[in-house]
Amino acid sequence: MGLMHLDVPEASGGYSHYGVLARFRTAKALYRACEAVRDAGYSKWDALTPFPVHGLEKAMGLKPSRLPFLVLATGLTGAGLGFGLQSWVHIMAYPLVISGKPLFTWPAFVPVTFELGVLGAALGAVLGMFALNKLPTYHHPLFRSENFARVTDDGLFIAIESWDPKYDDQGTADFLSGLGAVEVERVPIEDPRDDEGAA
Amino acid sequence: MSHGPRIVHLDQLVIRPGSGWARLPLIAAAVGVVFTVVSVVLAMGSEENAKQFFHSWLVAVIFFLGIGLGCLFFVLIQHAAKAGWGVVVRRLAENLACTVPLLAVLFVPVAALGMYDLFHWTHADAVAHDRLLQGKQPWLNESGFWIRAVVYFAVWTALALFFRNASRRQDASGDDGLSRRMARFSPPAIALFALTLTFAGFDWLMSLEPHWYSTMFGVYFFAGTIVSALAALIVLTLLLESAGYFRGVITGEHLHDLGKLLFAFTVFWAYIAFSQFFLIWYANIPEETNWFLSRLHGTPENPASWRGATMLLAIGHFAIPFFVLMPRTIKRNRRLLMVGALWMLAMHLWDVFWLVMPNLHREMTFSLLDVTSLLGVGGLFAATAGWLLSRGSLVPSRDPRLVESLAFENV
Amino acid sequence: MAQSQDNTHEPVTGRAPLIVGGYDFRSLTEAVAVPVERKTPIGWWFFFLPSLALLGLFGVSIGWLFWEGTGIWGLNNPVSWGFAIVNFVFWVGIGHAGTLISAILFLFRQKWRTSINRAAEAMTIFAVMCAMVFPGIHVGRVWVAYWMFPLPNQMDMWPNFRSPLIWDVFAVSIYGTVSLMFWYVGLIPDLATIRDRAKTRIRKLAYGAFALGWRGSHRNWLHYERAYLMLAGLATPLVLSVHSVVSMDFATAQLPGWHTTIFPPYFVAGAIFSGFAMVMTLMLICRVLFRMEDIITMRHLENMAKIMLLTGCMVGYAYAIEMFIAWYSGNPYEQFAFANRALGPYAWAYWIMVSCNVITPQLFWFKKMRNHIGWLFVSSILINIGMWFERFVIVASSLHRDFLPASWDYYQATFWDFASLIGSFGLFFTMFCLFARFLPMVATAEVKTVLPEADPHQGEELVRVVPVGSDTDALAQAAPAGGGGA
Repeated sequence: MGLMHLDVPEASGGYSHYGVLARFRTAKALYRACEAVRDAGYSKWDALTPFPVHGLEKAMGLKPSRLPFLVLATGLTGAGLGFGLQSWVHIMAYPLVISGKPLFTWPAFVPVTFELGVLGAALGAVLGMFALNKLPTYHHPLFRSENFARVTDDGLFIAIESWDPKYDDQGTADFLSGLGAVEVERVPIEDPRDDEGAA
Repeated sequence: MSHGPRIVHLDQLVIRPGSGWARLPLIAAAVGVVFTVVSVVLAMGSEENAKQFFHSWLVAVIFFLGIGLGCLFFVLIQHAAKAGWGVVVRRLAENLACTVPLLAVLFVPVAALGMYDLFHWTHADAVAHDRLLQGKQPWLNESGFWIRAVVYFAVWTALALFFRNASRRQDASGDDGLSRRMARFSPPAIALFALTLTFAGFDWLMSLEPHWYSTMFGVYFFAGTIVSALAALIVLTLLLESAGYFRGVITGEHLHDLGKLLFAFTVFWAYIAFSQFFLIWYANIPEETNWFLSRLHGTPENPASWRGATMLLAIGHFAIPFFVLMPRTIKRNRRLLMVGALWMLAMHLWDVFWLVMPNLHREMTFSLLDVTSLLGVGGLFAATAGWLLSRGSLVPSRDPRLVESLAFENV
Repeated sequence: MAQSQDNTHEPVTGRAPLIVGGYDFRSLTEAVAVPVERKTPIGWWFFFLPSLALLGLFGVSIGWLFWEGTGIWGLNNPVSWGFAIVNFVFWVGIGHAGTLISAILFLFRQKWRTSINRAAEAMTIFAVMCAMVFPGIHVGRVWVAYWMFPLPNQMDMWPNFRSPLIWDVFAVSIYGTVSLMFWYVGLIPDLATIRDRAKTRIRKLAYGAFALGWRGSHRNWLHYERAYLMLAGLATPLVLSVHSVVSMDFATAQLPGWHTTIFPPYFVAGAIFSGFAMVMTLMLICRVLFRMEDIITMRHLENMAKIMLLTGCMVGYAYAIEMFIAWYSGNPYEQFAFANRALGPYAWAYWIMVSCNVITPQLFWFKKMRNHIGWLFVSSILINIGMWFERFVIVASSLHRDFLPASWDYYQATFWDFASLIGSFGLFFTMFCLFARFLPMVATAEVKTVLPEADPHQGEELVRVVPVGSDTDALAQAAPAGGGGA
């Protein structure tokens, strides 16, 4: 189906299906289920929600994002380049005394230095977030689930991938049902070329 | 969730009799009185010493007054925003704000005896030959100065007492109406606070150099004041916590928030300070640059003597804390946050010193009186604060938002 | 909509609901998505076509400017900066409220912002677009606009980085870029919502392409929220810097009335003030047009009114301090500049400014006025007028009295001055109409987080307070006795 199904996930070879997708009714139930999945020792799994559930990363046992370091680096780079450019222009490339001020008028370079620092940091934040999240990813096996369209509406999901070492076809599905999932389904990995009928 | 609610015992939140904190008022008062006496004795040594005394005393009073006023603003803004998170530290701020009447008393020497030594515009002979100063006489005259000082202190004292008393009455009665009352009064109180603080800054600091003027000065005074108050709140909270109070009350979340505010106002201060310097530097108009020149130069023998002081302010009050207070981990680490807050207190003291002292010394000079005045005023300040703290619960124990505050978590 | 629940009274225990009308996740999605998906309503054309006409006028006035030159404006020798700079500052200022709502209120955890931040951020971007037109055209020679950029060129010349006008180029274009990124990052989850609801292939492709394959993964949300937080942390000083830099266009000069140190924070406060007035105008219309009275509730309007009161007082404070210091300075030029402002040929503009900006918002001290839709609308328009006049007063009244009385003159705007001012509103409203038609106007994913059921600890007791003097052990073991909640 168009743009969204152009790639095949790298792990598709040798696995009969992507994994198990379970829907939960409330944020509370999802939170507890995530704690249980984490405690059961699963590692290749995800919670999928229409909005960020507060504190869910704790329940999932995720490490904090490393993005801040990148942002600091790109921000300092932007500011450094900005200050360097201005100093170079006014001292070396085009030295000209203006309003009786010395060539190296560092206070006058502060505004542009600051703005370029912010630009660098903001680009770092956005592009870094895209990179860490592997966005864009137009194709994903989860999009094959009819149900999954609710993930941007009111659906709160947990997906456990079949290549998780602890994964067990029936056991994992039962495990999720036992945690209070209202719907549990197996999500296939299909060849994108014979995919016309998918949602 | 597996674990139950966090249990918070409010009876641990009063100063225990016989503890170090209970003895603090007495010890601090002794220190304060001794050093005040020492300062006065030193001041009587010579005319030079008297001049030095009034300047040093002004630095000390403005520094501690800044903490009190900043805490008053913290209380006002908490009520105006109907904030939940800060309830657990609000009582500390209420108490520190109530040191303002003490500082009004300590301000008396400045207004009663020090005017001539501090303020050039009180010199009748100088005014007689200075058209600019003549023009400013309707504002810069001694009776006006006194009347305004009385008004400023009266407003601040009234506000500080009102908010502390209402909050303490709520401890006793649990009356929700008091929260509503305080929320209703706080916005006009903020307006009053803004005006009085601005003109106090003009009167007591800007008019030290009576030819100089800057429309930004009130905002500059405000920014430094808030920085010092937040730093003082953090220090006080952590000290009380390490003495065994606040167990299960103050969490990393509250410290993180206080740290964020300290960081934000440090940056705000830098923004204001830089803008003020920058616009004056850029336009380069003689009557304005004078003020900065006396803070960037010195005497012919030592022409850059104040430059280091100004650089220290730029680096120590902004560059270093900007990077140190930025990471989340530091704001949540008690020891590091303590270091950061103490550093900012020291830097704010340096800021006040930098504002006042070039008026006296064309070359940067320290004096024994700087230390004795600071200890004198500081001792009395700490004694008053300690006494106020020991008078009741350390948190607003029946504030309807206390539970919200205790359970608060950062985004 | 029927009578909406009143959520303007904040109780002292617990919190009033941020949105009313009994929404759950699904009905909220529906409420926001349907205006994007349904057929274009007639009412939309009613706003769009006049906007488009004004945009046409804008195009004509710019075309005529390029053909004829800046002589078509009312500029004269002392007043060499006229409507172009006034409009520029005005539009940049309008943008600031969007960033305040999306970034500063985010950092202050003001969750009510979620209902209005999307539209406010869109407003920011369109306002910055309008603003950027004016520096581009104001010398009438658009073909040398590239001189503003640090590009190596055949003349071997570089821009003067000591000039505030170059800081403007950087500040405003970077502000526009960062605002656009911030807005787009916020849009991604909602674009995915429209994608997943799409019935036609074109919609699915169009929205899907921009949704980047977002699938709500919490491993993604983790980085996403961190990026959003940092963008907010960056946008906050950025927005302060942008109007500070704009203020420096004036304040670095030596001209009385321009050169005053309070300009940076005063301009920022004024910018937020005017921007909130514009958000108010737009939201009052949109909430009725799109039936969102329960999402953009009375409480949102009241909170905006409070911020307008606050920033209005800040602006009033700055006016007063400027006046006081002008007198206190003892500088006759300063004193004249300000006396002339209030009493000279432009006194009419000055008093329009004071009455709209300082007096009008004072009525917001009263709850009744903060909850009065009609007054909110009228005052928001008045404040926008007042804030435009503030910039006009700063520019015209300071310039028209030169140091040399022989060159004194009076700036009289021409038809083409007004055409470019009104025309810029055309650009703004055209863009806003397109936004309201094709993009989700409310940040649905964010509003969902403020619904009570989004809280994974809903109803759990997190803290139990043991009062002074009670039998602590018994209480600690007793059954939960109320309280709790996060």
